[in-house]
Amino acid sequence: MARMKFLCDAERCIECNGCVTACKQEHEVPWGVNRRRVVTINDGVPGERSISVACMHCSDAPCMAVCPVDCFYKTDEGVVLHDKDLCIGCGYCFYACPFGAPQFPQAGAFGLRGKMDKCTFCAGGPEKDHSEDEWKKYGRNRLAEGKLPACAEMCSTKALLGGDGDVVADIYRNRVLKRGRGAEVWGWSSAYGAPKGGSQAPAAAPAKS
Amino acid sequence: MSHSRTALRRLAGCLVGLLLSAACAGVSAQNPPPGQQTFDSVLNPNAAEQAKRQQQQPGNNAPVWREVRSEKEHYTTDRGVEAGVLIQSGGETWRQRRNNQLIPVGGALFLAALAACALFFWWRGPLRVKSPPTGRKMLRFNTFERAVHWTVAITFTILALTGLIMLFGKAVLLPVIGHTLFAWLTNLGKNVHNFVGPVFSVGVLLLFVTFVRDNLPSVKDAVWFAKGGGLFSDVHVPSGRFNGGEKVWFWIGVLVLGVTVSASGLFLNFPNFLQGRESMQWANIIHVVATVVMMSMAVGHIYIGTIGSEGALDGMKTGYVDEAWAREHHEYWYDEIKQKMPNRDTGSTGPVPAGALHAKETNT
Repeated sequence: MARMKFLCDAERCIECNGCVTACKQEHEVPWGVNRRRVVTINDGVPGERSISVACMHCSDAPCMAVCPVDCFYKTDEGVVLHDKDLCIGCGYCFYACPFGAPQFPQAGAFGLRGKMDKCTFCAGGPEKDHSEDEWKKYGRNRLAEGKLPACAEMCSTKALLGGDGDVVADIYRNRVLKRGRGAEVWGWSSAYGAPKGGSQAPAAAPAKS
Repeated sequence: MSHSRTALRRLAGCLVGLLLSAACAGVSAQNPPPGQQTFDSVLNPNAAEQAKRQQQQPGNNAPVWREVRSEKEHYTTDRGVEAGVLIQSGGETWRQRRNNQLIPVGGALFLAALAACALFFWWRGPLRVKSPPTGRKMLRFNTFERAVHWTVAITFTILALTGLIMLFGKAVLLPVIGHTLFAWLTNLGKNVHNFVGPVFSVGVLLLFVTFVRDNLPSVKDAVWFAKGGGLFSDVHVPSGRFNGGEKVWFWIGVLVLGVTVSASGLFLNFPNFLQGRESMQWANIIHVVATVVMMSMAVGHIYIGTIGSEGALDGMKTGYVDEAWAREHHEYWYDEIKQKMPNRDTGSTGPVPAGALHAKETNT
Protein backbone atom coordinates (compact mmCIF):
# COMPACT_ATOMS: atom_id res chain seq x y z
CA MET A 1 0.00 0.00 0.00
CA ALA A 2 1.30 3.36 -0.99
CA ARG A 3 2.01 6.01 1.61
CA MET A 4 0.75 9.29 0.13
CA LYS A 5 2.97 12.34 0.53
CA PHE A 6 3.34 15.85 -0.86
CA LEU A 7 6.68 17.25 -1.90
CA CYS A 8 7.30 20.81 -3.07
CA ASP A 9 10.49 21.48 -4.98
CA ALA A 10 11.55 25.01 -4.03
CA GLU A 11 13.99 25.07 -6.97
CA ARG A 12 11.07 24.74 -9.38
CA CYS A 13 8.11 26.54 -7.83
CA ILE A 14 7.44 29.76 -9.75
CA GLU A 15 4.63 31.05 -7.53
CA CYS A 16 2.03 30.81 -10.29
CA ASN A 17 -0.61 29.72 -7.77
CA GLY A 18 -1.88 27.16 -10.27
CA CYS A 19 -2.09 24.59 -7.46
CA VAL A 20 -4.19 26.96 -5.34
CA THR A 21 -6.52 27.62 -8.23
CA ALA A 22 -6.73 23.97 -9.22
CA CYS A 23 -7.68 23.05 -5.66
CA LYS A 24 -10.31 25.73 -5.33
CA GLN A 25 -11.86 24.83 -8.65
CA GLU A 26 -11.69 21.07 -8.18
CA HIS A 27 -13.48 21.11 -4.83
CA GLU A 28 -15.43 24.37 -5.15
CA VAL A 29 -13.95 25.49 -1.86
CA PRO A 30 -15.92 28.40 -0.38
CA TRP A 31 -14.61 31.95 -0.14
CA GLY A 32 -12.14 32.57 2.66
CA VAL A 33 -11.11 28.93 2.83
CA ASN A 34 -7.80 28.02 1.22
CA ARG A 35 -6.78 24.41 1.40
CA ARG A 36 -3.49 25.26 -0.30
CA ARG A 37 -1.40 28.42 -0.45
CA VAL A 38 1.90 29.53 -1.91
CA VAL A 39 4.36 31.33 0.35
CA THR A 40 7.28 33.28 -1.10
CA ILE A 41 10.48 33.97 0.79
CA ASN A 42 12.51 37.01 -0.29
CA ASP A 43 9.70 38.03 -2.60
CA GLY A 44 10.81 40.03 -5.62
CA VAL A 45 14.54 40.09 -4.83
CA PRO A 46 17.47 37.80 -5.62
CA GLY A 47 17.35 34.66 -3.50
CA GLU A 48 13.58 34.34 -3.89
CA ARG A 49 12.06 30.91 -3.25
CA SER A 50 8.42 29.90 -3.32
CA ILE A 51 6.82 26.96 -1.59
CA SER A 52 3.34 25.55 -2.02
CA VAL A 53 1.89 24.36 1.29
CA ALA A 54 -1.20 22.49 2.38
CA CYS A 55 -1.96 19.69 4.82
CA MET A 56 1.07 17.37 4.68
CA HIS A 57 -0.86 14.36 6.03
CA CYS A 58 1.60 13.90 8.86
CA SER A 59 2.58 10.50 10.20
CA ASP A 60 2.02 11.59 13.80
CA ALA A 61 -0.59 14.23 13.08
CA PRO A 62 -0.87 16.90 15.82
CA CYS A 63 -4.45 17.77 14.73
CA MET A 64 -5.49 14.19 15.37
CA ALA A 65 -3.82 14.20 18.77
CA VAL A 66 -5.50 17.34 20.08
CA CYS A 67 -8.99 16.97 18.59
CA PRO A 68 -11.36 16.77 21.59
CA VAL A 69 -13.95 14.72 19.69
CA ASP A 70 -11.54 12.46 17.80
CA CYS A 71 -12.97 13.42 14.41
CA PHE A 72 -9.73 12.68 12.49
CA TYR A 73 -8.79 9.39 10.97
CA LYS A 74 -6.02 8.10 8.76
CA THR A 75 -6.66 6.09 5.62
CA ASP A 76 -4.66 3.01 4.67
CA GLU A 77 -2.71 5.28 2.35
CA GLY A 78 -1.64 7.60 5.15
CA VAL A 79 -4.04 10.39 4.22
CA VAL A 80 -5.31 12.34 7.25
CA LEU A 81 -9.05 12.96 6.88
CA HIS A 82 -11.74 14.23 9.21
CA ASP A 83 -15.45 13.80 9.78
CA LYS A 84 -17.29 17.12 9.53
CA ASP A 85 -20.34 15.63 11.22
CA LEU A 86 -18.28 15.18 14.38
CA CYS A 87 -16.20 18.39 14.15
CA ILE A 88 -17.26 20.98 16.75
CA GLY A 89 -15.17 23.85 15.32
CA CYS A 90 -13.07 24.40 18.44
CA GLY A 91 -9.95 25.43 16.51
CA TYR A 92 -7.54 23.15 18.42
CA CYS A 93 -6.28 21.54 15.19
CA PHE A 94 -5.46 25.02 13.92
CA TYR A 95 -3.43 25.76 17.07
CA ALA A 96 -1.55 22.47 16.76
CA CYS A 97 -0.85 22.16 13.03
CA PRO A 98 2.71 23.19 12.05
CA PHE A 99 1.64 23.99 8.46
CA GLY A 100 -1.43 26.14 9.10
CA ALA A 101 -3.57 23.66 7.17
CA PRO A 102 -6.89 23.65 9.08
CA GLN A 103 -9.23 26.35 7.81
CA PHE A 104 -12.53 27.63 9.18
CA PRO A 105 -15.35 29.25 7.22
CA GLN A 106 -15.81 31.85 9.97
CA ALA A 107 -13.89 33.42 12.84
CA GLY A 108 -16.98 34.48 14.73
CA ALA A 109 -17.47 35.82 18.23
CA PHE A 110 -18.16 33.22 20.94
CA GLY A 111 -15.90 30.80 19.08
CA LEU A 112 -18.34 30.23 16.23
CA ARG A 113 -15.93 29.02 13.58
CA GLY A 114 -18.03 26.53 11.66
CA LYS A 115 -16.75 23.12 10.61
CA MET A 116 -13.05 22.81 9.92
CA ASP A 117 -11.99 22.33 6.31
CA LYS A 118 -8.62 21.23 5.02
CA CYS A 119 -6.81 19.48 2.19
CA THR A 120 -8.09 15.91 1.77
CA PHE A 121 -5.32 14.83 -0.62
CA CYS A 122 -8.30 14.70 -2.99
CA ALA A 123 -9.52 11.68 -1.05
CA GLY A 124 -12.95 12.91 0.08
CA GLY A 125 -14.25 12.00 3.50
CA PRO A 126 -15.91 9.25 5.51
CA GLU A 127 -19.03 9.25 3.32
CA LYS A 128 -19.56 6.79 0.51
CA ASP A 129 -17.16 7.41 -2.40
CA HIS A 130 -18.56 9.84 -5.00
CA SER A 131 -21.74 10.41 -2.98
CA GLU A 132 -23.50 13.76 -2.96
CA ASP A 133 -22.72 14.18 0.77
CA GLU A 134 -19.04 13.54 0.23
CA TRP A 135 -18.89 16.06 -2.60
CA LYS A 136 -20.68 18.76 -0.59
CA LYS A 137 -18.58 18.39 2.54
CA TYR A 138 -15.13 17.47 1.24
CA GLY A 139 -15.05 18.00 -2.52
CA ARG A 140 -14.06 15.54 -5.18
CA ASN A 141 -12.61 12.13 -4.37
CA ARG A 142 -9.97 11.80 -7.06
CA LEU A 143 -8.07 9.03 -5.32
CA ALA A 144 -11.14 6.82 -5.59
CA GLU A 145 -11.14 7.60 -9.33
CA GLY A 146 -7.53 6.43 -9.55
CA LYS A 147 -6.21 9.97 -9.96
CA LEU A 148 -3.69 11.97 -7.96
CA PRO A 149 -4.34 15.32 -6.22
CA ALA A 150 -5.44 18.09 -8.58
CA CYS A 151 -2.85 20.58 -7.33
CA ALA A 152 0.12 18.36 -8.16
CA GLU A 153 -1.41 17.25 -11.45
CA MET A 154 -1.92 20.88 -12.44
CA CYS A 155 1.56 22.10 -11.43
CA SER A 156 3.11 23.61 -14.56
CA THR A 157 6.74 23.09 -13.51
CA LYS A 158 6.10 19.83 -11.65
CA ALA A 159 7.45 21.50 -8.54
CA LEU A 160 4.60 20.05 -6.53
CA LEU A 161 4.59 16.28 -6.42
CA GLY A 162 1.84 14.31 -4.75
CA GLY A 163 1.48 10.56 -4.55
CA ASP A 164 3.21 7.45 -3.23
CA GLY A 165 6.02 8.74 -1.04
CA ASP A 166 8.55 6.27 -2.45
CA VAL A 167 7.83 7.23 -6.07
CA VAL A 168 7.85 10.93 -5.24
CA ALA A 169 11.17 10.53 -3.44
CA ASP A 170 12.65 8.66 -6.41
CA ILE A 171 11.62 11.37 -8.84
CA TYR A 172 13.09 13.98 -6.55
CA ARG A 173 16.33 12.08 -6.02
CA ASN A 174 16.89 11.81 -9.78
CA ARG A 175 16.18 15.48 -10.14
CA VAL A 176 18.68 16.41 -7.46
CA LEU A 177 21.37 14.16 -8.97
CA LYS A 178 20.83 15.65 -12.39
CA ARG A 179 20.88 19.30 -11.39
CA GLY A 180 23.35 18.82 -8.54
CA ARG A 181 21.60 21.14 -6.12
CA GLY A 182 18.38 21.77 -4.22
CA ALA A 183 18.47 18.61 -2.16
CA GLU A 184 16.34 19.94 0.66
CA VAL A 185 12.94 18.35 1.04
CA TRP A 186 10.74 20.95 2.53
CA GLY A 187 8.62 20.03 5.54
CA TRP A 188 9.25 16.29 5.43
CA SER A 189 10.91 15.91 8.79
CA SER A 190 8.12 17.96 10.40
CA ALA A 191 5.42 15.92 8.70
CA TYR A 192 6.83 12.44 8.36
CA GLY A 193 9.46 12.38 11.10
CA ALA A 194 13.21 11.91 10.96
CA PRO A 195 14.36 9.02 8.78
CA LYS A 196 14.47 5.77 10.74
CA GLY A 197 17.53 3.64 11.46
CA GLY A 198 20.01 6.29 10.42
CA SER A 199 19.10 5.93 6.76
CA GLN A 200 19.21 8.96 4.53
CA ALA A 201 16.28 11.20 3.68
CA PRO A 202 14.89 10.75 0.15
CA ALA A 203 17.34 13.24 -1.29
CA ALA A 204 21.01 13.58 -0.43
CA ALA A 205 20.61 15.60 2.74
CA PRO A 206 17.67 16.09 5.08
CA ALA A 207 16.29 19.59 5.21
CA LYS A 208 16.44 21.64 8.35
CA SER A 209 12.71 21.95 8.29
CA MET B 1 -0.37 74.86 -30.65
CA SER B 2 3.21 73.73 -31.17
CA HIS B 3 4.41 76.48 -28.87
CA SER B 4 2.26 75.41 -26.02
CA ARG B 5 3.29 71.77 -26.50
CA THR B 6 6.98 72.73 -26.28
CA ALA B 7 6.29 74.64 -23.10
CA LEU B 8 4.54 71.65 -21.63
CA ARG B 9 7.39 69.36 -22.60
CA ARG B 10 9.85 71.73 -20.97
CA LEU B 11 7.82 71.82 -17.82
CA ALA B 12 7.63 68.03 -17.75
CA GLY B 13 11.39 67.85 -18.32
CA CYS B 14 11.98 70.14 -15.39
CA LEU B 15 9.74 68.07 -13.15
CA VAL B 16 11.46 64.81 -14.11
CA GLY B 17 14.84 66.42 -13.58
CA LEU B 18 13.80 67.62 -10.16
CA LEU B 19 12.47 64.22 -9.16
CA LEU B 20 15.56 62.44 -10.43
CA SER B 21 17.95 64.71 -8.61
CA ALA B 22 15.90 64.34 -5.44
CA ALA B 23 15.97 60.57 -5.84
CA CYS B 24 19.72 60.58 -6.46
CA ALA B 25 20.28 62.70 -3.40
CA GLY B 26 18.23 60.23 -1.36
CA VAL B 27 20.16 57.25 -2.69
CA SER B 28 23.56 58.80 -2.21
CA ALA B 29 22.63 59.72 1.33
CA GLN B 30 21.72 56.10 2.17
CA ASN B 31 24.09 54.03 0.09
CA PRO B 32 27.84 53.70 -0.13
CA PRO B 33 29.48 54.88 -3.39
CA PRO B 34 28.57 52.73 -6.42
CA GLY B 35 31.88 50.88 -6.46
CA GLN B 36 31.36 49.48 -2.96
CA GLN B 37 27.72 48.58 -3.35
CA THR B 38 26.89 45.13 -2.04
CA PHE B 39 23.73 43.09 -1.88
CA ASP B 40 23.43 44.00 1.77
CA SER B 41 22.58 47.57 0.96
CA VAL B 42 19.64 46.81 -1.31
CA LEU B 43 18.17 43.59 0.11
CA ASN B 44 16.94 42.48 3.47
CA PRO B 45 19.71 40.65 5.35
CA ASN B 46 18.39 37.17 4.62
CA ALA B 47 17.83 37.76 0.92
CA ALA B 48 21.32 39.25 0.71
CA GLU B 49 22.79 36.19 2.37
CA GLN B 50 20.93 33.86 0.03
CA ALA B 51 21.96 35.88 -3.04
CA LYS B 52 25.59 35.82 -1.92
CA ARG B 53 25.42 32.12 -1.08
CA GLN B 54 24.08 31.31 -4.53
CA GLN B 55 27.14 32.92 -6.10
CA GLN B 56 29.70 31.44 -3.71
CA GLN B 57 28.12 28.02 -3.28
CA PRO B 58 25.58 27.47 -6.04
CA GLY B 59 22.66 25.44 -4.80
CA ASN B 60 23.20 26.15 -1.13
CA ASN B 61 19.84 27.36 0.09
CA ALA B 62 20.58 27.34 3.82
CA PRO B 63 19.53 30.98 4.33
CA VAL B 64 16.14 30.22 2.76
CA TRP B 65 15.62 27.13 4.91
CA ARG B 66 16.44 29.14 7.98
CA GLU B 67 13.65 31.50 6.96
CA VAL B 68 11.26 28.55 6.60
CA ARG B 69 11.71 27.74 10.29
CA SER B 70 11.92 31.36 11.41
CA GLU B 71 8.14 31.52 12.01
CA LYS B 72 8.21 34.89 10.23
CA GLU B 73 5.39 35.90 7.92
CA HIS B 74 6.48 35.77 4.30
CA TYR B 75 4.64 36.89 1.22
CA THR B 76 1.45 35.11 0.25
CA THR B 77 -1.80 36.05 -1.42
CA ASP B 78 -3.72 34.04 1.20
CA ARG B 79 -5.44 36.40 3.62
CA GLY B 80 -5.78 33.87 6.45
CA VAL B 81 -4.35 34.33 9.95
CA GLU B 82 -0.56 33.87 9.79
CA ALA B 83 -0.88 32.41 6.30
CA GLY B 84 2.61 33.68 5.46
CA VAL B 85 4.19 31.46 8.12
CA LEU B 86 5.42 28.19 6.66
CA ILE B 87 6.07 26.15 9.80
CA GLN B 88 5.09 27.05 13.36
CA SER B 89 6.60 24.80 15.97
CA GLY B 90 4.59 26.15 18.93
CA GLY B 91 1.71 23.86 18.02
CA GLU B 92 3.69 20.73 18.77
CA THR B 93 4.86 22.19 22.08
CA TRP B 94 1.27 23.03 22.97
CA ARG B 95 0.13 19.56 22.00
CA GLN B 96 2.80 17.92 24.19
CA ARG B 97 1.95 20.15 27.14
CA ARG B 98 -1.78 19.62 26.80
CA ASN B 99 -1.80 15.89 26.11
CA ASN B 100 1.17 14.76 28.19
CA GLN B 101 1.10 17.17 31.10
CA LEU B 102 -2.13 19.10 31.56
CA ILE B 103 -4.54 16.22 30.96
CA PRO B 104 -2.88 13.58 33.17
CA VAL B 105 -1.72 15.95 35.92
CA GLY B 106 -4.93 18.01 35.85
CA GLY B 107 -7.05 14.88 35.89
CA ALA B 108 -5.08 13.48 38.82
CA LEU B 109 -5.43 16.74 40.76
CA PHE B 110 -9.18 16.88 40.22
CA LEU B 111 -9.63 13.23 41.18
CA ALA B 112 -7.43 13.79 44.24
CA ALA B 113 -9.71 16.65 45.34
CA LEU B 114 -12.77 14.41 44.98
CA ALA B 115 -11.02 11.58 46.82
CA ALA B 116 -9.90 13.90 49.62
CA CYS B 117 -13.49 15.04 50.21
CA ALA B 118 -14.77 11.47 50.11
CA LEU B 119 -12.08 10.40 52.55
CA PHE B 120 -12.83 13.31 54.84
CA PHE B 121 -16.53 12.54 54.76
CA TRP B 122 -15.80 8.91 55.60
CA TRP B 123 -13.54 9.96 58.49
CA ARG B 124 -15.46 12.88 60.01
CA GLY B 125 -18.89 12.70 58.44
CA PRO B 126 -20.88 15.92 58.29
CA LEU B 127 -19.79 18.49 60.86
CA ARG B 128 -22.77 18.66 63.20
CA VAL B 129 -24.01 21.61 65.19
CA LYS B 130 -23.42 20.47 68.77
CA SER B 131 -25.97 22.57 70.61
CA PRO B 132 -29.64 22.05 69.77
CA PRO B 133 -31.16 24.48 67.26
CA THR B 134 -32.55 27.59 68.92
CA GLY B 135 -35.23 28.07 66.30
CA ARG B 136 -34.19 31.71 66.09
CA LYS B 137 -32.89 32.68 62.66
CA MET B 138 -30.30 35.23 61.62
CA LEU B 139 -30.01 36.80 58.18
CA ARG B 140 -26.69 35.69 56.72
CA PHE B 141 -27.05 36.50 53.02
CA ASN B 142 -29.54 38.97 51.58
CA THR B 143 -31.33 38.42 48.27
CA PHE B 144 -28.78 40.27 46.18
CA GLU B 145 -25.88 38.40 47.73
CA ARG B 146 -27.57 35.08 47.12
CA ALA B 147 -28.46 36.02 43.55
CA VAL B 148 -24.85 36.91 42.81
CA HIS B 149 -23.55 33.78 44.49
CA TRP B 150 -25.94 31.48 42.66
CA THR B 151 -25.28 33.17 39.33
CA VAL B 152 -21.60 32.40 39.73
CA ALA B 153 -22.27 28.96 41.22
CA ILE B 154 -24.62 27.83 38.45
CA THR B 155 -22.57 29.25 35.58
CA PHE B 156 -19.41 27.80 37.16
CA THR B 157 -20.97 24.34 37.36
CA ILE B 158 -22.10 24.48 33.73
CA LEU B 159 -18.67 25.70 32.61
CA ALA B 160 -16.89 23.09 34.71
CA LEU B 161 -18.96 20.19 33.38
CA THR B 162 -18.70 21.25 29.72
CA GLY B 163 -15.00 22.04 30.20
CA LEU B 164 -14.37 18.62 31.73
CA ILE B 165 -16.01 17.02 28.70
CA MET B 166 -13.79 19.00 26.32
CA LEU B 167 -10.61 18.20 28.26
CA PHE B 168 -11.13 14.65 29.51
CA GLY B 169 -14.16 13.43 27.53
CA LYS B 170 -12.11 11.94 24.71
CA ALA B 171 -10.43 9.58 27.17
CA VAL B 172 -13.28 9.02 29.62
CA LEU B 173 -16.68 9.48 27.97
CA LEU B 174 -16.03 8.82 24.27
CA PRO B 175 -15.22 5.11 24.69
CA VAL B 176 -18.47 4.69 26.63
CA ILE B 177 -21.03 6.57 24.54
CA GLY B 178 -19.44 6.44 21.08
CA HIS B 179 -18.42 9.07 18.53
CA THR B 180 -21.82 10.30 17.34
CA LEU B 181 -23.36 11.00 20.72
CA PHE B 182 -20.13 12.27 22.20
CA ALA B 183 -19.55 14.74 19.34
CA TRP B 184 -23.14 15.98 19.63
CA LEU B 185 -22.75 16.44 23.37
CA THR B 186 -19.38 18.16 23.06
CA ASN B 187 -20.65 20.46 20.33
CA LEU B 188 -23.56 21.47 22.56
CA GLY B 189 -21.16 21.76 25.49
CA LYS B 190 -18.74 23.95 23.55
CA ASN B 191 -21.47 26.39 22.52
CA VAL B 192 -22.98 26.50 26.00
CA HIS B 193 -19.49 26.99 27.44
CA ASN B 194 -18.76 29.86 25.07
CA PHE B 195 -22.01 31.71 25.73
CA VAL B 196 -22.20 31.09 29.50
CA GLY B 197 -18.55 32.04 29.99
CA PRO B 198 -19.01 35.82 29.70
CA VAL B 199 -21.94 35.67 32.18
CA PHE B 200 -19.64 33.95 34.66
CA SER B 201 -17.00 36.66 34.14
CA VAL B 202 -19.47 39.40 35.01
CA GLY B 203 -20.66 37.33 37.98
CA VAL B 204 -17.12 36.99 39.31
CA LEU B 205 -16.65 40.76 39.30
CA LEU B 206 -19.99 41.29 41.08
CA LEU B 207 -19.15 38.56 43.57
CA PHE B 208 -15.86 40.24 44.37
CA VAL B 209 -17.44 43.65 44.94
CA THR B 210 -20.26 42.15 47.01
CA PHE B 211 -18.17 40.12 49.42
CA VAL B 212 -14.80 41.88 49.51
CA ARG B 213 -15.47 43.88 52.70
CA ASP B 214 -16.10 40.86 54.90
CA ASN B 215 -13.23 38.94 53.33
CA LEU B 216 -10.49 41.38 54.29
CA PRO B 217 -7.87 39.38 56.20
CA SER B 218 -7.58 39.86 59.94
CA VAL B 219 -5.39 38.56 62.77
CA LYS B 220 -8.22 36.26 63.84
CA ASP B 221 -7.72 34.29 60.63
CA ALA B 222 -4.24 33.26 61.76
CA VAL B 223 -5.75 31.67 64.86
CA TRP B 224 -8.30 29.92 62.66
CA PHE B 225 -5.55 28.49 60.47
CA ALA B 226 -3.44 27.49 63.50
CA LYS B 227 -6.34 25.42 64.77
CA GLY B 228 -6.99 23.90 61.35
CA GLY B 229 -10.37 25.59 61.20
CA GLY B 230 -11.76 23.01 63.57
CA LEU B 231 -11.93 20.58 60.68
CA PHE B 232 -9.64 17.98 62.19
CA SER B 233 -10.63 18.21 65.84
CA ASP B 234 -13.61 19.04 67.97
CA VAL B 235 -12.09 22.29 69.20
CA HIS B 236 -14.34 25.30 68.84
CA VAL B 237 -12.74 27.83 66.48
CA PRO B 238 -14.40 31.23 66.36
CA SER B 239 -14.36 33.37 63.20
CA GLY B 240 -15.89 36.49 61.68
CA ARG B 241 -18.57 36.49 59.00
CA PHE B 242 -16.17 34.51 56.83
CA ASN B 243 -13.52 32.18 58.20
CA GLY B 244 -9.94 31.76 57.03
CA GLY B 245 -10.80 28.99 54.60
CA GLU B 246 -13.57 31.00 53.01
CA LYS B 247 -11.19 33.94 52.65
CA VAL B 248 -8.58 31.80 50.90
CA TRP B 249 -11.29 30.61 48.52
CA PHE B 250 -12.40 34.19 48.01
CA TRP B 251 -8.98 35.69 47.26
CA ILE B 252 -7.39 32.80 45.40
CA GLY B 253 -10.42 30.99 44.01
CA VAL B 254 -12.68 33.89 43.13
CA LEU B 255 -10.28 36.74 42.53
CA VAL B 256 -7.01 35.31 41.19
CA LEU B 257 -8.32 32.19 39.46
CA GLY B 258 -11.69 33.68 38.50
CA VAL B 259 -10.07 36.65 36.79
CA THR B 260 -7.37 34.50 35.16
CA VAL B 261 -9.93 32.06 33.84
CA SER B 262 -12.17 34.86 32.60
CA ALA B 263 -9.43 36.78 30.86
CA SER B 264 -7.93 33.74 29.13
CA GLY B 265 -11.39 32.40 28.32
CA LEU B 266 -12.56 35.63 26.72
CA PHE B 267 -9.35 35.71 24.70
CA LEU B 268 -10.07 32.23 23.35
CA ASN B 269 -13.76 32.97 22.89
CA PHE B 270 -13.35 35.76 20.36
CA PRO B 271 -11.24 34.51 17.45
CA ASN B 272 -12.87 37.26 15.39
CA PHE B 273 -10.06 39.54 16.55
CA LEU B 274 -7.77 37.21 14.56
CA GLN B 275 -5.36 36.39 17.36
CA GLY B 276 -2.29 34.45 16.30
CA ARG B 277 -1.72 30.83 17.20
CA GLU B 278 1.00 31.39 19.78
CA SER B 279 -1.21 33.61 21.92
CA MET B 280 -4.10 31.14 21.61
CA GLN B 281 -1.87 28.26 22.71
CA TRP B 282 -0.76 30.21 25.79
CA ALA B 283 -4.29 31.35 26.57
CA ASN B 284 -5.43 27.74 26.41
CA ILE B 285 -2.67 26.53 28.74
CA ILE B 286 -3.35 29.31 31.25
CA HIS B 287 -7.09 28.63 31.02
CA VAL B 288 -6.69 24.90 31.64
CA VAL B 289 -4.22 25.27 34.53
CA ALA B 290 -6.35 27.90 36.25
CA THR B 291 -9.63 26.05 35.75
CA VAL B 292 -8.31 22.71 36.97
CA VAL B 293 -6.99 24.34 40.17
CA MET B 294 -10.25 26.26 40.53
CA MET B 295 -12.39 23.15 40.01
CA SER B 296 -10.32 21.23 42.55
CA MET B 297 -10.74 24.02 45.11
CA ALA B 298 -14.44 24.27 44.25
CA VAL B 299 -14.87 20.59 45.11
CA GLY B 300 -13.80 21.45 48.67
CA HIS B 301 -16.01 24.56 48.78
CA ILE B 302 -19.06 22.70 47.51
CA TYR B 303 -18.41 19.81 49.86
CA ILE B 304 -18.21 21.95 52.99
CA GLY B 305 -21.16 24.06 51.86
CA THR B 306 -23.46 21.08 51.35
CA ILE B 307 -23.03 17.60 52.83
CA GLY B 308 -19.83 18.42 54.73
CA SER B 309 -21.31 20.83 57.21
CA GLU B 310 -24.76 20.65 58.72
CA GLY B 311 -26.80 23.82 58.25
CA ALA B 312 -24.31 25.58 55.98
CA LEU B 313 -26.46 25.30 52.86
CA ASP B 314 -29.44 26.95 54.62
CA GLY B 315 -27.62 30.28 54.69
CA MET B 316 -27.15 30.36 50.93
CA LYS B 317 -30.48 28.68 50.18
CA THR B 318 -32.85 30.72 52.36
CA GLY B 319 -30.57 33.50 53.48
CA TYR B 320 -31.08 32.58 57.15
CA VAL B 321 -29.10 30.45 59.56
CA ASP B 322 -29.96 29.20 63.02
CA GLU B 323 -28.38 31.14 65.85
CA ALA B 324 -26.82 27.96 67.18
CA TRP B 325 -25.10 27.40 63.84
CA ALA B 326 -23.92 31.02 63.73
CA ARG B 327 -22.47 30.80 67.26
CA GLU B 328 -20.58 27.60 66.50
CA HIS B 329 -19.26 28.48 63.06
CA HIS B 330 -18.92 32.26 63.04
CA GLU B 331 -18.88 33.35 66.68
CA TYR B 332 -17.32 36.79 66.16
CA TRP B 333 -19.93 37.57 63.53
CA TYR B 334 -22.66 36.25 65.83
CA ASP B 335 -21.39 38.45 68.67
CA GLU B 336 -21.28 41.51 66.46
CA ILE B 337 -24.85 41.02 65.36
CA LYS B 338 -25.99 40.43 68.91
CA GLN B 339 -24.17 43.53 70.07
CA LYS B 340 -25.94 45.61 67.45
CA MET B 341 -29.27 43.90 67.97
CA PRO B 342 -29.45 42.82 71.62
CA ASN B 343 -33.23 42.63 71.45
CA ARG B 344 -33.06 39.62 69.26
CA ASP B 345 -31.72 37.50 72.13
CA THR B 346 -35.13 36.43 73.24
CA GLY B 347 -37.92 36.39 70.85
CA SER B 348 -39.18 35.33 67.50
CA THR B 349 -38.91 31.88 66.16
CA GLY B 350 -39.65 32.32 62.48
CA PRO B 351 -37.47 34.00 59.90
CA VAL B 352 -36.84 37.65 60.57
CA PRO B 353 -37.93 40.10 57.87
CA ALA B 354 -35.13 40.81 55.43
CA GLY B 355 -32.96 43.68 56.55
CA ALA B 356 -33.98 43.54 60.20
CA LEU B 357 -30.86 41.65 61.12
CA HIS B 358 -28.87 42.42 58.04
CA ALA B 359 -25.39 41.15 58.48
CA LYS B 360 -23.82 43.66 56.13
CA GLU B 361 -25.35 46.60 57.89
CA THR B 362 -24.26 45.48 61.30
CA ASN B 363 -20.95 43.87 60.63
CA THR B 364 -18.34 46.54 60.24
